Amino acid sequence: MTVSEEIKKVKVMTDRLQKLKLEWEEATADVYVDDTILFTKSWKETEGQPLDLRWAKAFAKRMEECSILIRDDELIVGSLTKFIRGNNVLVAMKPREVLAMVEKGQFDRKLSDISTTNIDPEDLKLLKEDAEYWVEHMPKVNYVNEALKEELGEGHFDLMFDRGMVFEGRAVRVNPDRGLFQGWGAFGGGIAQPNARVIHNGLNHIIALAKAEMAKMMESGAGLPGPSAAAFRKYNLLKSCIVSCEAIINFAQRHAERARDLAAKESNSARKKELERIAEVCEWVPANPPRNYWEAVQSLRFLHLACWKESSERPEVPVGRVDQILFPYYEKDLREGRLTRQDAAELLGAFWLKIRETENLVTIKREHRAAPGTLLPNVTLCGRDEKGRDLTNEVSWLVLEVMRQIKLSEPAVYIRYHESMDEEFMLHALECNRDFGGGNPAFLNDKLGTDRYLARGVKPEDAVGWNASGCLGYHLDCAEHMAGMFSLNQAKIFELTLYNGFDPRTGKQLGLQTGDAATFTSMEQLYEAFFKQEDYFADILRKHYFIWWSSENLHSPMSGLRCAMLYEDCIPSGLTSREGGARYPVCAASWIGDRGMTDIADDLAAIKYLVFDNKKVTMAGLMEALKANWDGQEDLRQMCLNAPKYGNDDDYVDEIFNYVSLKTQEILQSRPDPFTGEKPMLFKGAAAGHVTQGASVGALPNGRKAGTPLNDAATSAMPGVDVKGPTALINSATKVPHAWEMAGHTHNMKFSRALLNTPEKLKKLGSLVKTFCNRGGWHIQFNIHSSGELLEARKNPEKYKNLLVRVGGYSAYFVDLPPELQDEIITRTMHEVS
Amino acid sequence: MKGCPLRCLWCSNPESQNPWPEVTHRDSVCNKCGLCVEACETKAISTDDHGVHIGRQLCVRCGKCVEVCVPEALRFIGREMSVDDVFKEIARDADYYQDSGGGVTVSGGELLYQPEFTAALLKRCRETGMHTCIDTSGYGNTAALESILPYTSLVLFDLKHMDQLKHQELTGHSNELIMQNLALIVARGVPMIIRVPVIPGLNDADDEITAMACAVAEITKTAPFNLLPYHRYGMGKYKMLDQEYKLGELAPPTDAKLQRAKEIVESFGINCEIVL
Repeated sequence: MTVSEEIKKVKVMTDRLQKLKLEWEEATADVYVDDTILFTKSWKETEGQPLDLRWAKAFAKRMEECSILIRDDELIVGSLTKFIRGNNVLVAMKPREVLAMVEKGQFDRKLSDISTTNIDPEDLKLLKEDAEYWVEHMPKVNYVNEALKEELGEGHFDLMFDRGMVFEGRAVRVNPDRGLFQGWGAFGGGIAQPNARVIHNGLNHIIALAKAEMAKMMESGAGLPGPSAAAFRKYNLLKSCIVSCEAIINFAQRHAERARDLAAKESNSARKKELERIAEVCEWVPANPPRNYWEAVQSLRFLHLACWKESSERPEVPVGRVDQILFPYYEKDLREGRLTRQDAAELLGAFWLKIRETENLVTIKREHRAAPGTLLPNVTLCGRDEKGRDLTNEVSWLVLEVMRQIKLSEPAVYIRYHESMDEEFMLHALECNRDFGGGNPAFLNDKLGTDRYLARGVKPEDAVGWNASGCLGYHLDCAEHMAGMFSLNQAKIFELTLYNGFDPRTGKQLGLQTGDAATFTSMEQLYEAFFKQEDYFADILRKHYFIWWSSENLHSPMSGLRCAMLYEDCIPSGLTSREGGARYPVCAASWIGDRGMTDIADDLAAIKYLVFDNKKVTMAGLMEALKANWDGQEDLRQMCLNAPKYGNDDDYVDEIFNYVSLKTQEILQSRPDPFTGEKPMLFKGAAAGHVTQGASVGALPNGRKAGTPLNDAATSAMPGVDVKGPTALINSATKVPHAWEMAGHTHNMKFSRALLNTPEKLKKLGSLVKTFCNRGGWHIQFNIHSSGELLEARKNPEKYKNLLVRVGGYSAYFVDLPPELQDEIITRTMHEVS
Repeated sequence: MKGCPLRCLWCSNPESQNPWPEVTHRDSVCNKCGLCVEACETKAISTDDHGVHIGRQLCVRCGKCVEVCVPEALRFIGREMSVDDVFKEIARDADYYQDSGGGVTVSGGELLYQPEFTAALLKRCRETGMHTCIDTSGYGNTAALESILPYTSLVLFDLKHMDQLKHQELTGHSNELIMQNLALIVARGVPMIIRVPVIPGLNDADDEITAMACAVAEITKTAPFNLLPYHRYGMGKYKMLDQEYKLGELAPPTDAKLQRAKEIVESFGINCEIVL
């Protein structure tokens, strides 16, 4: 039997996991308050101490005094909250918002909301008191906003989130009242994660290194020219690093004690043994190097949980390259006969369930959310090493199998795809994708991911160490990464261009006066005006970025835990990666992103086609229709909708897309990063930004109505207009290397499940991934139409004109089928993932 | 290729039957504005509660209705293209053929209806190293087929029924020419897949399947069979063309029936797959 057959044979959903999953499914979402109470208590106790140390001590208190849970039948332990579906919230970071939710009687969540009546009244009271305390005690000024006001003027805020929305980014809201710190917090979620080397070496090793570095400072000096604050900061960061590591070890030890207590009382001998094993595991990791697979999984769980806790302001903590981390332990145990594939699968499944327990309380207003509020515990698999060897291993297989059988929507799995990847593995991945539906696993271009770093001078052995992070980001495990914090709303900038820099929605002059588009007589004039506006906003954005990050760092602590995770570089430098302590200070997706590029390509194509080439309408006539949001101008809107559209391999519009996309990259990179002096790497982020950003944009010449979503992802066509099939869409997206300078460049494709019902058809999908990557694409994911979407297509056929049904030698569009046949297909599509 | 001499009752691509461009009407995107009715000079267009209808006898295919239709619910299906035009379109996807081991398939309608064009196109594709495939009903001039085969890597050959009269009833023509062409392909040694649409009650009885498998087995055992289960998804297209769909109530074949047919074919030592 081949390895793949062995793996496909494992039963992930053992009775134990079925029971645990059922408990999760039946649990109601709850809000966890102990953590924030402990934080506040610690903060009061440490008043006056160095900031970095206060932060670490607060973390330690939260780890050391929280309740310890080991649920019946659990194998992998460690909970972020005491609930099966717990939402953690650090009130100090957002007191006003929490207070508002308490008063409103409802907590916002990712998908649904929690009424305060579901919450223990005592907890609610504590939460309210905590929020009231922080409203009273948080800094009276917003440092970031004050600095922005000082440098860029009051009018700068008109560009932002709640107003003009030329910039997107949650932290730039005009009236944020962020709480104790005003940025992402000390740890910087979305960028930090349990580092593989920390798991392999154990926290005791890191503590020893930090202690040695402190001793070295005392013995031979800090190497500074004078009595600068830097020495004491370094000293305190190292101390914080030790405090944080010890806190995690303590947390694990308490689990060991708890397991021993439970074991003593346990009458079932099998469970008693398991509890004793859990105790043994937790006594050893994450303090020491794991001795076996179980300990490695448990260590990963503890460290991921710790990073999550530290990063609760922005809890987007990737789990990392799980297959690479676990394989050495798995392989050794298997070889020595101490582990079966079945047991390995169950432990991994147990870990998956633990990840899924934690949910995210979103304090951003629903209409302002850029990301859907998920915790993004991304898992990355496969890839190649610096010698070009395929790193796909048995654990890569096992992860897919766990994901396929356990059917949880998180964690999302990313596969670093390359040509030498085992075809059978690829087929298995595509099967999972089809059965799963929601673009999971997604495929990243392994070569491009590594080449981008190599081109920036990263050593080959470091360049291959990247994984997916945050929403559509990726980063090195030894670099700082400032993911897409500031994204230019290109569609908004285009709209402003049409109105001579004036924003019809807010009634303010937000941009430059580049002329009234109604009077333009050539495309050249329009391009020139648009690029001038872009350049103007790119310049402001760069200043904004510089001020925002600097002032945040000036007023926020450095994280001892982050220092521990990047210990090889941060311990000697005495700085976290945020302050330049990483091996590659800023070397991943950097500080700027754009959104709306395919919308603009369609806008420009519609203008060229209807106004200048075919003279069907005048520029002034078109502007009138846009101002009226197409009211009474439906015919013109239809003409615009039917003008050449991106996504059909039509050079008429694709050349426009290529031109504006590359020109925009050139403009955004024309000024160096204000910190490193290097060319900034661009990032096209925000998985759901098209909805929030679209809300502020008026009617556009592509036929889009005011306030409706922009095109999603980086290279999606306008909904329903890409009618020439999948290869035409990929051709449109990859005619020039849009993704070379721009990470987060995601390509979404949709297929109906019926198109993918045989291995042969899935192999064809696999070859699409191959061609996409060979053509320089970055990130491709296949969404399988859900039955809900098909129902939606029945209701709104105009948005689903491109939804294809293909059987044998036949193909037709779904919307053209008679209702009863549509029903038949919908029935065949039913498939649920929780 | 648009244009097909057969009129198979189950045809799911009725838009490919007539060898000329035709106006189709998509109710799903029609905004019921009525401009097409006004624009039609031959008064071929009428409307009722069910949508727009085009009287095909009256329609002169002038395209005036298509021009005025803003949401593009009215569209021409079919257009004249040169070999060059088609090849350029094909070449755009050359990367995919290479990466997937795929290639070009010419289908229809019936490509034997336009043999010079097909031969020229396939020759062009072959010259650039592409794998070429034809999907044919086999109903066409044998000399025409002969001219195409040298540029063909694979033939998908439809087989519908062995009984001449029954074949006439189901498709409008007898199968004599088809069997003659089948023999030619075998003689020329071009790889082939036999494709049988399985139509409940019309050609799926045991003896009917047996007859087809037997006839093929007599001349070749290397050409595998693909069974294509009948489906009704073409129904919507009949409406778009104001044509009547004659098998409206027919349900697709059961899995058991398909399995049975597969077993029969395999009993002749022929590989057989059900294509879903």
